[in-house]
Amino acid sequence: MSLSRLLRPLAVLVSVACGWAVSASPVQLRLTVWEGDQALTILKKVVQDFERANPGITVKVEPVNYGNYQEKLLTQVAARVAPDVAMMDPANFQRYARRQAILPLQPFMQKDPDFRLEEYYPQIVAAHSFSGQLYVLPRDIAPIGLIYYNKSHLRAAGLPDPPRDWTWDFQARPEFGERDFLNVVNKLTKKDASGKTTRYGFVPGWPQAILDVFIYSQGARYADNPENPSELPWDDPRVVNAFDLLVRMQFEERTVPSPSDMTSALMMGSTDLFVQGRVSMMQSGIWEVPNLRKKLIPGTPGFFEWDIALAPAFRDGTRAMPTGGSGYCIMSQTAHPEAAWKLTKWLAGEPAMIAMARAGLAQPAIRRLAQSDAWLPGPGTPLAEQYPRSRILTDLAVDSVVFDPTSDLWPEVKTFWTPVLDRALSGSQSPREALTEAKARATDRLAVLRSEKALPAFPWIPALGLGLAMVGGLAFWVFWPERGKWSGRAERKEARIAFLFLAPWIIGTLLFTLGPMVFSLMMSFSDWDIIQPAKFRGVQNYSEAVSTDPRFWPSIAVTSIYTVVSVPLGLALALGMALLLNTRLRGIPLFRTLFYLPALASGVAVALIWKAVFRAEGGLLNAILYGPNGEDPLRLAGWLNQFSPNGPINWLGDERTALASMILMSLWGAGGAMVVLLAGLQGIPEMYYEAATLDGASVWQRFRAVTVPMLGPALLFSFITGLIGSFQVFTQAFVMTSGGPGDSTRFYMLHLYQQAFVNLRMGYASALAWVLFAIILVLTIAQLRLNKNVYYEGAQR
Amino acid sequence: MRRLAIWVALVLGAVVFALPFYVMIAMSLKTAAELASTSVWAWPVNPAWDNYQQVLTNANVSFATFLRNTTVIALLTTLGSVLSSALVAYAFARLRFPGRDRLFLLVLATMMLPGIVTLIPSYVMFAQIRWVDTWLPLIVPAFFGGAYNIFLLRQFFLSIPREMEEAAFLDGASHWAIFSKIVLPLSMPALATVGIFAFIWSWRDFLGPLLFLNDPEKQTLETGLRLYQSLNAEQWHLLMAASVMVCIPLIILFLVGQRAFIRGIVLTGGK
Repeated sequence: MSLSRLLRPLAVLVSVACGWAVSASPVQLRLTVWEGDQALTILKKVVQDFERANPGITVKVEPVNYGNYQEKLLTQVAARVAPDVAMMDPANFQRYARRQAILPLQPFMQKDPDFRLEEYYPQIVAAHSFSGQLYVLPRDIAPIGLIYYNKSHLRAAGLPDPPRDWTWDFQARPEFGERDFLNVVNKLTKKDASGKTTRYGFVPGWPQAILDVFIYSQGARYADNPENPSELPWDDPRVVNAFDLLVRMQFEERTVPSPSDMTSALMMGSTDLFVQGRVSMMQSGIWEVPNLRKKLIPGTPGFFEWDIALAPAFRDGTRAMPTGGSGYCIMSQTAHPEAAWKLTKWLAGEPAMIAMARAGLAQPAIRRLAQSDAWLPGPGTPLAEQYPRSRILTDLAVDSVVFDPTSDLWPEVKTFWTPVLDRALSGSQSPREALTEAKARATDRLAVLRSEKALPAFPWIPALGLGLAMVGGLAFWVFWPERGKWSGRAERKEARIAFLFLAPWIIGTLLFTLGPMVFSLMMSFSDWDIIQPAKFRGVQNYSEAVSTDPRFWPSIAVTSIYTVVSVPLGLALALGMALLLNTRLRGIPLFRTLFYLPALASGVAVALIWKAVFRAEGGLLNAILYGPNGEDPLRLAGWLNQFSPNGPINWLGDERTALASMILMSLWGAGGAMVVLLAGLQGIPEMYYEAATLDGASVWQRFRAVTVPMLGPALLFSFITGLIGSFQVFTQAFVMTSGGPGDSTRFYMLHLYQQAFVNLRMGYASALAWVLFAIILVLTIAQLRLNKNVYYEGAQR
Repeated sequence: MRRLAIWVALVLGAVVFALPFYVMIAMSLKTAAELASTSVWAWPVNPAWDNYQQVLTNANVSFATFLRNTTVIALLTTLGSVLSSALVAYAFARLRFPGRDRLFLLVLATMMLPGIVTLIPSYVMFAQIRWVDTWLPLIVPAFFGGAYNIFLLRQFFLSIPREMEEAAFLDGASHWAIFSKIVLPLSMPALATVGIFAFIWSWRDFLGPLLFLNDPEKQTLETGLRLYQSLNAEQWHLLMAASVMVCIPLIILFLVGQRAFIRGIVLTGGK
C-alpha cells in the first residue's frame, strides 16, 4: 500500500473542508516556459493567436527562470501540480521520461494525419528521443557556432567578411589572412600605449561556447557515451589544449575578455559589448538577434553593419559546434491531453515558428521553414528585419552540431565541470590541474550513481507503526507520572477546558512539527523522489553522506567557518553598537533605526545590493579599496595585486574571498541582535552601576561585573538563535552564488535544498537534515550546559 | 569628551551602515549608460525615475500583485499566530491539567527546533494533499500556535496579577470569559509584539514561498523580486529600483510602529 493511498482520505477531507473547487467547463491549459522578458512577449502573442484559433481553450503562461526551471518543474510533478505543457530541452527530458512524467508523442502523431515529423531537422528529433520514443516536439534548433561580426571593424582592419572555409589553429597563421580565426582576432584587437586592451577582437557569449567549438572540432568529447556515460575524458590533451588557448587569449594576448572582466569589469554582457563596439566579434546562438535589432537601428547613431558567420573549422577542416534547441512536451498529469497536443503542435509548429523566425529569435526546427522567406531575408523583407543577412548559414550549421550528453545522470556530473571553468579561466589554477581534479571527482560520483542497485520497496506500514509508537512513547512520558492524580470533579473539568485551549497547539504540533519530524526520520532511510514508490535504503543515506557525497564535507566546512566567524563577530558588533546607543545623547532613536534597518530589509534585495557592492569593478568595496577610478588613495593596490594579479579582486567570483564576503555581509544585519541587547541593557537598574562606581570600579570592571552578568540571558539567547540561524543560511547563497565558485559558498542548507528539490532525493535530503539537527542539538545543549547560571525568568512557577 | 567620542563612533557606524542603501538608491536612479560610465559614489545628475516606472509596468511581472499577495499572507499569518498562541499560552499560564510541566518542556524544545528538519516532510505532506501552489502551506500552520509565541505570551500572562480574575471567577465567569475579557485586553503590548514579529517573519519569508508557490501571480514580494531578477539579469538599475520598492513597505511599517516594536523587543529580549 503506497503512502499516497493512506493519505488520500485525509486529502479529500481537507480539500472539502477548505471549500476547494475545481473549475470545469472551458479547458484551461497551463504552459510553463523559461523564456526571459523579450521572448516571453513574443510567446504571449503566439499564445493569443492560439486561443483565437481554438475557442474553448485558454492558456495560462507561467514563466520560470532558466536557472531554476528544471527543479521547479520536477517538484511540480512531484506535488502533482504539473502544468499541461512545458518547455523542455535534450539535456533534461530524460529525467521526466524515465519517471513517466511526460507523454510519448507518437500516439498523438498517429491520430493526426496532417502532422509530418519528417519535416523537422532529424538531429533535433533524435536529440529529443529516448528508447525509440519522441518525447519533446522540437520548436527550434540553435547552433551556438554563429560568429556575429562588426563589418566596419573588419573593413577598417582591411579584412573581408569571414569566409565559410576559415579555420582556427593553436597559433595565429598570418599567412592565411582572413581565413585564420586567430589572425583575425589579433588584427581586430586594439590596445592603448600601455598595452591595455581598448577593443577586444572576440568574445564568446559565455566561455563554454568557444571551448566547445575548440574541443568538438578537434574530435574530443566530454563523455564516452552520451546516452550512458562511464568514462569522462576531461584530461584529454585536446581538451587541455583548448583551455590553454583560451587562457592565453585572455591573459597573455588579451584579445578576449576574461569572465571576471565580463561579469563585472566591463559591467555588461557580451551582447552589449558587441553593440557598443567594444568587441568586434561575438559567438552565440541566433537568439541574440531581437536584442541586436532593437539596439542597432539602421539610420540612428551607433548603428553599424553587422552579420553572422559560421564558427571556424579546425585546421583539418572539421567543423563542430555546441547547440541549443528546445521544444515542448506534454506532462502526464494533464487532464486535457488532446488540447495539450493542439497547443504543443501550435507552439512547436508552423504558426509559432514563423512568429519566432520573423522576430529573429529562433531558427525553425522545421527545415522547410528554415529555408523559407519567413527565416531568410528577401527583397520584400523590411530593412529592420534584414539583419543578419546571412541567415542561410544557420541551415548549414545544423550539419555540425554536437548535443550535450542526454543521460539523466549528466546534470549531476556537469556540476563538477563548473569549477573547472571558474578556476582555469580566472587563472587561479592551471587548466590541466583543474581538469584532472574535476575528472577524478566526477568519475567517482558517476561510478557511485551507476552502481545504484535495485532496492526493496519501503515498508510503509511498519515504518508508520514505528512512528506512531514513537509519538505514543512521548505521550506516555508526558502523562504516565500523572496517572490517578486527577480524580476530583472540578479538577477534571478544569483539565477538560485546558485541553480545549491547548487544542490548536496539540494538533499543530502533531501535524506540523512532531509528525513531520517522525516522518522525516522514516524518510531518511528511504530512496524516494515522491513520484515513484519509495525504496528502502537503510542507513546507506547516512553512510553516503559521510563517505561518497563529494559535497557533504565541503558544505559542513563552509557552514562551520561561517558560523564560527560570523556569529561571534556579529554578536560583538551588536553589543558594541548597543553599548554606544545605551547613552543619553541626542539622536539616539535615529541611530538605532539606521542600525536596525538592514535587518528589516528584504533578504533577496539585501543579496542583490551586496552583489552590487562586491562587484570587481564598479562595486562599492573595490571603489573604497582601489579608488573609484583606480587612483589608489589608500595605497593598497600594490598589496592587493599580489592576490589578484589579473585585475581588481572579484569578491564573490573568487574561491578565496567568496565566503569571507558573505561573512562581511552578514555583519550588516547585526542590528537584529543589537536591539535585543539594547533592550537588555536598558533593563539593568541604574543603581547597580552607581553602586559599582561608588566602590571605585573602572569602566571595564563595571562592564565585567554588572553588564555581562545582567545581560547574560539576552546574550545567550542571541547567541543560540544566531547559531541556529547561521547553520541554516540559504537565501544569500541561493541568490548570490548558487554555492560557487567551486564549492566555496556551498552552505549546508543549499546542498540539502539541491538534493531534495533539484535531484528529488527526498530520502537522502532527510538524512542530511537529521545530521544537521543532531549537530545543532549538541551545540545548543552544550551552550546551555556551559551557561547553567543563566536562566529564563519564570521557567518554573 | 567621552560623549564626543561616542557620537563620532555612532556617526561613523551610521555612515558605514547606510552606504549600501545609498548605493542601492543611487544605482536605482541611473540609466544603464550612466551606470557604466560613472563612479559608484556619484549621485545621478538627472535621477532616472523612469526606472521605477519600467519596473512597475513590466508586462510579465506585477509588483502590485506581489504586494497584495504578501499583505494578505502576512496579515492572515499574524492573525492566526496571535489568536492561537494566546489561547495556548493562557492554558499554560492559568490552568491546571495533567502533564502540564512536561508539555511545556515540549514547547521549549520545539522552540529550539531548526526548521530544516520539518521542511522536507512538510513539503511531501503538502504535496500529497495538493496544497502546493496555494497559499495554504504558508498560512494554515500559523493558526496552530508557534512555540516561541506561546512561550512569550505565557511569560507575560504570568506577570499579570490574578486578583481581578479570581474575583471574576467567584462571580461565575468562565475561563473563556476571563481569557477574552480580562487577560487579552491587559496583554495588548505582548500581543502586539507577537503580531509584529509574526508579520515581519511572514513578510520576509523566502524559502516557504520559493518551495510552495509556482504560479507567478501567487508570488510574494521576496520571490517576485527573485523572479524579476532572473527575467532581467544584470540590468542593475532596474534590479535596484525593484529592490528599493520591495524594501519600502516594511520600513514604513517599522517607522510608523516603532514604539510598539521597541517595547515588544524589551518584552522579549529583556527577560
